[in-house]
Amino acid sequence: MSDPAPDARTHRPRWPWYAAAALIVALLPLVFTDSYWRTNLIVCAINVLLAIGLDFILGFAGQLNLGQSAFYGLGAYVSTLLIMQLGLPFWLAFACGVAFAGLAGMVLSLFAARLRGHYLAIASLGFAVITYQVLLNWIGLTQGPLGIYAIPPPPPLALPLLAPIEFTDLKNLFYLVAAFAFAAYGLLDQLVRSPIGETLLAIREDEVSAASLGIDCRAWKVFAFGIGSAVAGMAGCFYAGFVGTLVPDAFFITESFTILAMVVIGGMGTLIGPVAGAILLTILPELLRGLGDARLIVYGVALTLVVLFIPGGMVQAARALVVRARRLMSSPAASVGR
Amino acid sequence: MGIMRSGASATLAACAAALAIGGANPAPAADNIIKIGALLPMSGPGSYFGAQDKQGIELALDDINRTGVNGYKLEVQYEDSACSPLPATQAAKRLIEQYKPDVVIGEECSDATLAIMPVMAQSKVPLLNAGSSSIKITDPGNPWTFRIMPNEVMQGVDIATNAYKRLDARSAVLLYENTNAGIGNAKVFNETFTSLGGKILADIGFGRDVNDFTAIATRIAGLGKVDVIPTYTLEGQGLKITQALAQAGVTKGGGGQAIQLGTIWLPFGFEQKAGKAALGYIRIVQFDPTDERGNVRNFITAFKMKFNQGPTHLNAHAYDQIGLIADVVHRGAKDAQSIRDGLAATKSFSGVTGSVEFDGKNQNVKMDTIHYMETLDDLSWKALPWN
Amino acid sequence: MLTVVLQQAMNGLVVGSLYVLVALGLTLIYGILVQINFAHADVVTLGAFAAYFLMHRFGGGYIAAIVLAFVVGGALGWLTNAAIFSPLRERGNELLPLIATIGLSVTLENAMLAAFGPIPYAFDTPYSNDVLRLGGIFITVQNLLIVAVSAGAIGLLYAFLKFTFMGKALRAVSQDRETAGLVGINPNQLIMVTFVIASALAGMGGAMLGPVLVLTPFAGTSVILKAFAIVIIGGFGNVEGTIIAGLIIGLIESYTTQFLNPGWIDIVVFAILLAMLALRPTGLVAERREENV
Repeated sequence: MSDPAPDARTHRPRWPWYAAAALIVALLPLVFTDSYWRTNLIVCAINVLLAIGLDFILGFAGQLNLGQSAFYGLGAYVSTLLIMQLGLPFWLAFACGVAFAGLAGMVLSLFAARLRGHYLAIASLGFAVITYQVLLNWIGLTQGPLGIYAIPPPPPLALPLLAPIEFTDLKNLFYLVAAFAFAAYGLLDQLVRSPIGETLLAIREDEVSAASLGIDCRAWKVFAFGIGSAVAGMAGCFYAGFVGTLVPDAFFITESFTILAMVVIGGMGTLIGPVAGAILLTILPELLRGLGDARLIVYGVALTLVVLFIPGGMVQAARALVVRARRLMSSPAASVGR
Repeated sequence: MGIMRSGASATLAACAAALAIGGANPAPAADNIIKIGALLPMSGPGSYFGAQDKQGIELALDDINRTGVNGYKLEVQYEDSACSPLPATQAAKRLIEQYKPDVVIGEECSDATLAIMPVMAQSKVPLLNAGSSSIKITDPGNPWTFRIMPNEVMQGVDIATNAYKRLDARSAVLLYENTNAGIGNAKVFNETFTSLGGKILADIGFGRDVNDFTAIATRIAGLGKVDVIPTYTLEGQGLKITQALAQAGVTKGGGGQAIQLGTIWLPFGFEQKAGKAALGYIRIVQFDPTDERGNVRNFITAFKMKFNQGPTHLNAHAYDQIGLIADVVHRGAKDAQSIRDGLAATKSFSGVTGSVEFDGKNQNVKMDTIHYMETLDDLSWKALPWN
Repeated sequence: MLTVVLQQAMNGLVVGSLYVLVALGLTLIYGILVQINFAHADVVTLGAFAAYFLMHRFGGGYIAAIVLAFVVGGALGWLTNAAIFSPLRERGNELLPLIATIGLSVTLENAMLAAFGPIPYAFDTPYSNDVLRLGGIFITVQNLLIVAVSAGAIGLLYAFLKFTFMGKALRAVSQDRETAGLVGINPNQLIMVTFVIASALAGMGGAMLGPVLVLTPFAGTSVILKAFAIVIIGGFGNVEGTIIAGLIIGLIESYTTQFLNPGWIDIVVFAILLAMLALRPTGLVAERREENV
């Protein structure tokens, strides 16, 4: 269902890909200059963070985490409350939000250490439900459904010799979030290609065998969860400053399902898959706005069909296309040898 | 490398094409058009708000565009705001960027309205709201936001005072859904009622996923003498609550003596679904179908002819939003700034939901938008002369 | 005060029976298939709508409506198995079918939303407004019906599993699929039968619950999470456990409402769920060995 080991490509240089991607990202807000599409770009970047975080836990470590919405929400609320109630500077609150979300993920994983498969899925869902209910009902702390309003975006970044970069400008905010998404992707990519990645894959494929090889499965699962949930927390911190309004409903458990759809449709177990899935599932509903409710039907149908027929998602489909393209381009004689 | 490059450029091309399609607007046929943007929930659980608003709007446009007003015709562009902050913000931006309206009406849900207000203010487009009750919408004072619906403070203070003085209520149980509007309204009732000397026996908030209210009704039944039960919830759960309260013998409809008090959200027709359980229910409605005023009778007749059913408060307040805009245009407004100023200067507009006069914070202060109805034995409404 | 406590006990048992009716199908499917069907809730909702339309648009009787819902549920179960679980069974990945059912659930819910709209339907039956009173305690006839039908369904299921050949074969398959195959039992056919029965039960449950729930396309989802919690607390695949857990959760709901506030219900229920998972993952009534734990 996914690429077990990226050996075949570790020999080829990766930096051209990163450079190309960076260029595209840099150009996007210059192509799309109206605030509507720039808003969509920022949402894309936030969803990319959520998706790659989940995929690290799900696709690589094989842990069915349905609680990603909780970590998203915790990051948003913790950082926002620290800023609005205690007056903490943005980046400090940001760090706290990310840390809190990461810790929560680790706690959940520790707690569910013995659970596998469906039990873990339901446990993580239960955790998400409890988190949502606490955010909703602890009005004294979170304002619950009354909401928190007028949340400021990140403060201007003062660079030497340049004018300070204001994040009320959507273009700059996009660059900021995209930069973090890039960094997160890079970090996860490094982890996945290192021996750590192989350890996680071993745990994913067969935990019992992995344990017999001396791998401390529990520790590694906690690690994976912590990273994945911290990345989700990061997304939450940006969400709050970007939308300016925080209500618990944004973090209802259906959000977990949407992120799951992004990972699966994009390609579980790869890192570029969730990126593609996140972008597609953010932009597609906007393009399909004319369809109204029907677009959610399209979501559901797409998810089901992908699982049934192309479980590797868009990445699998793209690879199949590449193989076919290569076959077409090379001579018939050579293709027999393949 | 080949696939990546072609893939990326294909994506860019697709996006550009989509933008071109989405952004292109056919040039208006006539030069004099007032562009009205409508940010309404068209998808998700709130989609019937949007559907019914649209009906009211269409009826109003039929009337007004037959002759136009001051040489202008009114045109409406709808965008789905889904009753939630992020989709509403995206829809608002899309509306402003691509349609460039002179005035926007919306949203219904307080959260969404609060989220789009800054977008409107920044683009200097007036926002006319008729469905959100949160006090935060007008309280700080927003020059670009106007509300014709009485806010939660106006309604709450009025109904609590009336309960205490006209119904001689001294004990109350608050029942409300755990949303912005539910909590806000309940809080106002609480403060007013207790400041008059009444006592709140229980304060019960519930989530939107509660189906069975027998347990809540039982708890209330165990509290002893309860005079009034202010209930803040939408129709689905409201129906179950009313039935459960009657079954538990708490309310008049069930042989008890408590009176349910409600607000704007329950439509006409609720009684037919609730049956005898709704006996004695007293509530504020935004639209009174028994109102004798000429414009109301005409509105009802026209609505029935066009849509084959009686109008709800959603139809009515949307109709008034268009009507008020037409009135402002009639007074000489023709673009965003002049419409804003015209709205602010409104002193005596008569709509089907009541009259409109905006105070310094652009909140409509006319109390005749608060209609009290009591449900009678035969399930019909009796208008109470409380306002 | 005693009256209130007793009445809340009654309320709790009613709500509990409501959950059991939904959870039974889930536990059956899990017991035989070791699969979670997220779309189960939507079978309940669809059953409720089918019953509603038969009664309120076509003037059918309540019994006919229940039978229709039963059939619709069964058909949907057969479809889900044939289209999703069967093809994915060979792949051996336990996550894929779960994700597929999530997709199915989203599709069904939004299709229903497009077809029926979001305004709640008032589903009335001849029994929904009649109330029985004894002493200071009351129960609506509809709720009594729910309890009776739940009990009946449970009894029948029990008898089926314990005494009929197919029931025993089912238990055999749930314990060890390969060996059951060796003994001549066709597991695929049995799985299909289980699915159909479980979903038919869910559909019928929808017809019973329609008058009690706030009937929108999302009605099933308001109960499904707690149904899952009940299935786990009771022990996945364990019918007695599910029943006990369902009734307990129902009682927790009514007493939490009485002494705290309804907003606490979900927190309490899911805290218990997490506690169970930590301390005794096999559930209240541990009977089957679980290799997942």
